[in-house]
Amino acid sequence: MLKLFERDILSVDEISKAQTGIDVRDLCVHLNHKPVLNNINIRIPKNKITALIGQSGCGKTTLLNSFNRMNELNKNHACSGEVWIKDRNIYDRKEKVAKLRTQIGMVFQRPNPFPMSIYENVVFGLKIQGENNRRKLDDSVERALRNAALWEEVKDRLFDSALMLSGGQQQRLMIARALALEPEILLLDEPTSALDPLTTLYIEELINELKKQCTLVIVTHNMQQAARVSDYAAFMHKGELIEFSDSDSLFTMPAKQQTEDYITGRYG
Amino acid sequence: MLKKYLNHFKHSLAETSAMLCVSSLIIFLIAMVLFIGFKGGQYFVPQSIYKVVVSFNDGPASDEAFYQASSLSAEALQTQYLERYQGQFLSQPELRPGVSVTPAEQVYQINTRSGPVYFGEFYALSSPEQELHPLTELENLKQAVDLLERSLNEVQGNKLSDLHSRIAALNNSDVAKEAPARQDLMDEFSKWQLQASALKTQIQQFQMRFKEADGSLVSVPLIEIDELFQANQLTQIERIGFTLNKLWQFIADKPKQAATTGGVFPAIFGTVLMVLLMAVVVAPFGIIAAIYLHEYAPDNKITGLIRIGISNMAAVPSIVYGVFGLGFFVYVLGGSLDALFYSNTLPSPTFGTPGLLWASLTMGLLTLPVVIVSAEEGLKRVPEGLRAGSYALGATKYETVLKVVVPMASPGMLTGVILAIARAAGEVAPLILVGAVKFAPNLPIDAEFPFVHLERQFMHLGVFIYDGAFHNQTQTQSASLMFATCMLLLIIVFLLNISAIMFRHRLKTRYERH
Amino acid sequence: MRRQIQLNTHISAKFNQELEGLKHSVLTMGGVLEQQLVNTLVALQEKAPSLAERVALNDSKVDLMESQVEQECMRIIAKRNPTAGDLRLVMTVSKTATDLERIGDEIARVARLVTLNKIPDSDLVFSGMLDIGNRNVSMMRATFDAFARQDDKAAILAHQQDHDIDRVYKKVLEQTAAEIQANPKEISQWLDVLWAIRAFERIGDRCKNICEYVIYLTYGRDMNSASMKKTVKKLLK
Repeated sequence: MLKLFERDILSVDEISKAQTGIDVRDLCVHLNHKPVLNNINIRIPKNKITALIGQSGCGKTTLLNSFNRMNELNKNHACSGEVWIKDRNIYDRKEKVAKLRTQIGMVFQRPNPFPMSIYENVVFGLKIQGENNRRKLDDSVERALRNAALWEEVKDRLFDSALMLSGGQQQRLMIARALALEPEILLLDEPTSALDPLTTLYIEELINELKKQCTLVIVTHNMQQAARVSDYAAFMHKGELIEFSDSDSLFTMPAKQQTEDYITGRYG
Repeated sequence: MLKKYLNHFKHSLAETSAMLCVSSLIIFLIAMVLFIGFKGGQYFVPQSIYKVVVSFNDGPASDEAFYQASSLSAEALQTQYLERYQGQFLSQPELRPGVSVTPAEQVYQINTRSGPVYFGEFYALSSPEQELHPLTELENLKQAVDLLERSLNEVQGNKLSDLHSRIAALNNSDVAKEAPARQDLMDEFSKWQLQASALKTQIQQFQMRFKEADGSLVSVPLIEIDELFQANQLTQIERIGFTLNKLWQFIADKPKQAATTGGVFPAIFGTVLMVLLMAVVVAPFGIIAAIYLHEYAPDNKITGLIRIGISNMAAVPSIVYGVFGLGFFVYVLGGSLDALFYSNTLPSPTFGTPGLLWASLTMGLLTLPVVIVSAEEGLKRVPEGLRAGSYALGATKYETVLKVVVPMASPGMLTGVILAIARAAGEVAPLILVGAVKFAPNLPIDAEFPFVHLERQFMHLGVFIYDGAFHNQTQTQSASLMFATCMLLLIIVFLLNISAIMFRHRLKTRYERH
Repeated sequence: MRRQIQLNTHISAKFNQELEGLKHSVLTMGGVLEQQLVNTLVALQEKAPSLAERVALNDSKVDLMESQVEQECMRIIAKRNPTAGDLRLVMTVSKTATDLERIGDEIARVARLVTLNKIPDSDLVFSGMLDIGNRNVSMMRATFDAFARQDDKAAILAHQQDHDIDRVYKKVLEQTAAEIQANPKEISQWLDVLWAIRAFERIGDRCKNICEYVIYLTYGRDMNSASMKKTVKKLLK
């Protein structure tokens, strides 16, 4: 069989258990006494970029937050179902939330650097973990900043305030901050919505590089971004997972009419 | 057309009235500061001496004459006195008072160590040997007085106190009154005592005599004289020196002559100490309460009620806090402390009376709402995203609060503490009840064990002003001291508030970069 | 306005790869077609039906490649939202793929002539066919070369070669007509030959189209439009 173009993306059904990064089973979430997620089942592939798309309020951010249990910061929160990461259910009673969150990094919509130096921002998570060896901290800072493609820009001013950086640099710093803990999974909640188009492309390129190290899940409102950056895409609507497939298929020939209507801008 | 005009008028009316309000406010503020500054400043500037002669019905004979120091001009002073006397003799139309005011160039101003100030023309210096020395002899006589004083100190310090302690030792070991050793000691003691009193009389005989405005002679012992100068003939440099000296005295000296002159050092010291103690108490309490309320308390009705309670606490009249402090801290807490630890000195109370500690605690209670509210304000300004960021990096709630939230909210918290300090520095009413007095013989901190005496009463700037203004309305000099103290208080509170504003500004710029 | 499209300057390295891959796929397809044509000519010359058979079978491979290229174009348009030069490139590749597929069909048609052993016994026509076929090979090479380098001048020169092909085609057609008139009984035999000659001519036309796409890629305009006439003339000098 002659193949002109190399494809390394398997279709959703072909993903084996070993290739699964996050396995969500029957997840239901209620926030403020309202159902937000309704019986979600999804297997997010390992070392790939998965985009969650859908209208505002469709529950994609809630789904993202349930991967590192950030929903629990909301006081009126109820949840049932299982989320399996590396052979363990993170909603298990024995699971320690703080420890879990060190293994699952998160980057938010707006860059939120702490008002400290760049260096302090990167080592924040490590210091919380009790790492105080200066040598090790220095190494992790350099590695994290290199991985976040920020090292060359800031290596001479590591001890300047992180607030002095530009928006794009700050967002990359946020990624570096999460990477310093060497997470298995990186969750990105609209990471570029506060940035200009060019910076957005740089961040996307960075995200693409990062899939070598971790599984990425990105929530985005920008359909083109989802198409550009993702390997797999999940379309959600009103708390339900409508369609999940590799993004090549989803954006060229979606299986469900609802998905097609949404991605072609026909949604009523 | 008319409507348009009216509309325009309405707009301009709103604008103008707003402008008027603001400008009158500013003018009022500036006027107040200037008034207090001017009145207070007078205290430090050397005043000219005038001779005031009062006569009636244009008569040549002066019925009343005195020297008066004033910063006014001769004419202004004359009008002032004329009005006063005319008012005084309004009911006696047959008496027409006339006042003449002339600068008294030759007159000396004599500031005494104990406080009173005399004015007079120099008459003579007298010593035990001779009655009439000229003024040029002043330095020699002063040296003689110094010598005498030194020997007096020698007698009192070395001989007498030594003997005294030996007699006390005998007393303690129950030696009989007729014991010869005791008799010897007693003899020697009385001998030295005699010598001391002789020295004292001798010192008192060195005097300066001067003539009052009405011609009468007044004597002042040389040892009493602190400063002697002809106020009207001071050079510019001398005047500046005088002012600086007076300023230093104001800050570093204690009040003299029933708080009409001297300085306010004990009041500054007391105020600062009270305020610091209060800050030490109120800062952790208020900040921890704010952190609990904002970070940990569940968002329900009880928390709401607590918040309402706190804002009401800020609205309670301060005298109520004073009464509470007196009733609870002083009588209940202090009383039980006395009963527990100081029962040997009862019935005379140690902590059971108003004192520094209770004043600080009362003020702490009074300023607690200020601290809580500003600290919570500071906490509110910490963006929610930062907390989420910290949680996402694996920090627990405690770590997030400690490492992210509190450092970022610290300027707000500090602002609260500073505002509380400013409030406490200016408060008077509750302090009168719980420990501030118009004159405290000892500072709350001294060389005597245990060095810090929290049970002592103390002086406070606000109370000092209140007391001075209340009791010394007639004397211009003391009123000046009150104004000067007022000015000091104003400056202190101003500085505290400005630093609070600057902190708040820093806080703002810190977050607005986000 | 002439503009060379830089494929390797996007922020997204993956996009670069994809565009590069797309362009490469066209050249690969072109290479296969060139080989097919050469093989056909060899089969024609040496009257080797087995070789021609292979060529005819290989045509399905070309069809498969075409559908892959089309799919990739669609995927890129959907996922990358290409604009300006990138968009022109994707559209050009898509159209080129269609033309290439047609070229493949034409070649297969000639090959089938060989497999059916219907090669004309007239030397004149036979050599004319070989001539036109060789001209096709050279034009194809020139066209793919122009495409690979996005060379507008080379594209126009390749475009010009079609004139010669048309000229030869007309001559061969006349000769064939003469042959048919001479032997009207063998007309069914000759019809197939006629189709084959026609196919060779069509290959030239398809190549011409591809040259036009290259010009469109660099200038964003149709080569035959009035506004391009001057530029074309200038380039030909």
